[in-house]
Amino acid sequence: MSTIEAQHTEPQEAPRRRRLKAPGSRNFSKPVRYLMLAALVVFSGFPLYWMLNTALSQDSELYGQAQGWWPHWERLADLGDVIGTVPIFKWLTNSMVIAGGTTLLSLVFAVLAGYALSRFKFYGKGAAGFLLFATQMLPEALLVVPIYALFASLGLLNGMGGLILANVAFTMPVSVWIIKGAIDSIPFEIEEAAAVDGCPRVTILSLVLTPLILPSVAAAAVINFFDGWNEFLLAKTFIAERDLWPASVGLASFIGQYLTSLNSVMAAALLFTLPALVFFLLVQRRIVSGLTAGSVKG
Amino acid sequence: MTKLSLRNISKRFGDTRVIDDFSAEVDSGEFLVLLGASGSGKSTLLRIIAGLTDASSGDVIFDNLRVNRQSPRERDVAFVFQSYALYPHLTVRDNIAFPLALDKFKGWHHIPGISMVARRVFGAGKDISERVAKVSAMLDLDEYAARKPGGLSGGQRQRVALARALIRNPSMFLLDEPLSNLDAKLRAELRGEIVRLHRLTGKTFIYVTHDQVEAMTMATQIVILHNGEVQQHATPQEIYAKPANTYVARFIGSPPMNLMNATVEDGFPTLGNLRLPAPDGIRLQGGTVTAGLRPEHLTVSADTGGRGLPGTVRRIEDLGADTLIGVQPDPALNLNMWELNQDELIWIRQEGQTRLFAGDACTIELEAQFASYFNSRTGMNLASSEQTSGAGVLPLRG
Repeated sequence: MSTIEAQHTEPQEAPRRRRLKAPGSRNFSKPVRYLMLAALVVFSGFPLYWMLNTALSQDSELYGQAQGWWPHWERLADLGDVIGTVPIFKWLTNSMVIAGGTTLLSLVFAVLAGYALSRFKFYGKGAAGFLLFATQMLPEALLVVPIYALFASLGLLNGMGGLILANVAFTMPVSVWIIKGAIDSIPFEIEEAAAVDGCPRVTILSLVLTPLILPSVAAAAVINFFDGWNEFLLAKTFIAERDLWPASVGLASFIGQYLTSLNSVMAAALLFTLPALVFFLLVQRRIVSGLTAGSVKG
Repeated sequence: MTKLSLRNISKRFGDTRVIDDFSAEVDSGEFLVLLGASGSGKSTLLRIIAGLTDASSGDVIFDNLRVNRQSPRERDVAFVFQSYALYPHLTVRDNIAFPLALDKFKGWHHIPGISMVARRVFGAGKDISERVAKVSAMLDLDEYAARKPGGLSGGQRQRVALARALIRNPSMFLLDEPLSNLDAKLRAELRGEIVRLHRLTGKTFIYVTHDQVEAMTMATQIVILHNGEVQQHATPQEIYAKPANTYVARFIGSPPMNLMNATVEDGFPTLGNLRLPAPDGIRLQGGTVTAGLRPEHLTVSADTGGRGLPGTVRRIEDLGADTLIGVQPDPALNLNMWELNQDELIWIRQEGQTRLFAGDACTIELEAQFASYFNSRTGMNLASSEQTSGAGVLPLRG
């Protein structure tokens, strides 16, 4: 098979094609590559499949006998009833607000801080960059109580605003360093050219730099969004009111002390994964590099 | 039309002195080339004029107005970068329109988000479109207008950078080695283009380069910098014919001026048995003096009995139209070739081809009326230096 491949590619435009090919593609023939990909898809996709399978099963099947391999598609219509007893869409909306707010706020801060860390010289710059990681160095569980006490005195408990703030404190540092790295790789001359063309610094940042670091911003957005979406500990601690719960806390509430209805948990969990999936699909197209190619001589 | 004055500009980075007390006046419409080897401070000087770097001390004056504290935009200069510095996310058209769109910004247009919309709206406006089209046509960029810089060749990118500078109608053009990333043919082509733009606009151009060909062909004035100090500020012709010191003599010309150690006998500089005419208006008294002659003012012949400097042909470089001949002079002449030139050979430029071969004995004849003389201790040109003393050389005003 590989010889056929070689004959096929070698004669015309050989150097160009070779350059455009992915590095691994030379080593394996097509069927082998597909086989490996299939294994990967099964490996990562099976849990999702099993989630669906479980959601469509009945308690008796789950606990009574071995769970079947094929989902009961005919029960798809009943899925709503399973989770109808809880305000799952309210929770998902809350999650969306929290994750979206965390992402937005974190990115705004991260672009500004990353720019400062990348371009300015100031006293304590190294310390500032290092201290950003202070929240990452300590376990979240350790910080929950102090933050709780702080938020209690500030009246930020039991609200999504306070939760967003706390989330940003935990997710921003990583974004700052991602974006600092991206700005580091942008030639300084482009900024100077913009300054000569009449841009004040804020406009350089918004008109010139931000479009250039968009792939990194998108990557940071994905990380932030999922951090905010999945966050459980802070939300569970800070928000007592059921209607303000994000979906992560809501999901956990299915797990009772004596009884856990696995199919309801899985049905809700399926709904929980969908918006995150949609967000990722929207953003992943932006995560492409090579946008700066051609601006300056490489 | 802006007249530029630089007064006592100095620049230090930490303990390193990059520019040392630089002063110059540049008349409106001049094409000034700052020429120097890398590390001579020429780019730093240009950036100080542009306002991209602050001088440690000294004043930058545009038309009697001190602009030290003003931003590049307020100084109304255009800057062309060596690395082009185009905006990679914008098309050629948008790149060229960018400065004009920014000109229309009012304070609140700079708010992030609004600025993106404002740039698009202004950039698409009728007057800007017309000007962009005009400038693109002038630089043959029409067909690439919709492309992004990534899809252009080096020469095209640099033309876009020139267009972006040109469209603003600035008071002054500052160019920082704009051609050094291009191949020889493109460089020659764009050199012509820039000279044409200079004539067309009549604006002041300040051009930084390390390439003496660019300096000689484009400039109306050249400033030669070395270690942050001005070596000479003159017209290209003057710099070539009357270098102010041995550094300039060796920096300009390819191959550069041949420097030879001459002893002074009876007031005349002498190379071996060859007595050179005394330099105008200067009387020499004993000691030594450095004589400089351009390769084209020397001829070489196989006639070993002739009147000239005896030597042996070592290298022959046939350039087609002319030939460079490297001759090692007789060591007995004591010309100090290596110390003065970092080269043991006297280079001679001869039209057409030569019949000499490496290893042949020969005689170098001098067109001594073209010789320049330098103080052998300080390296300063005797004709131009005001006070020269020591080493037995006493130039007196005649």
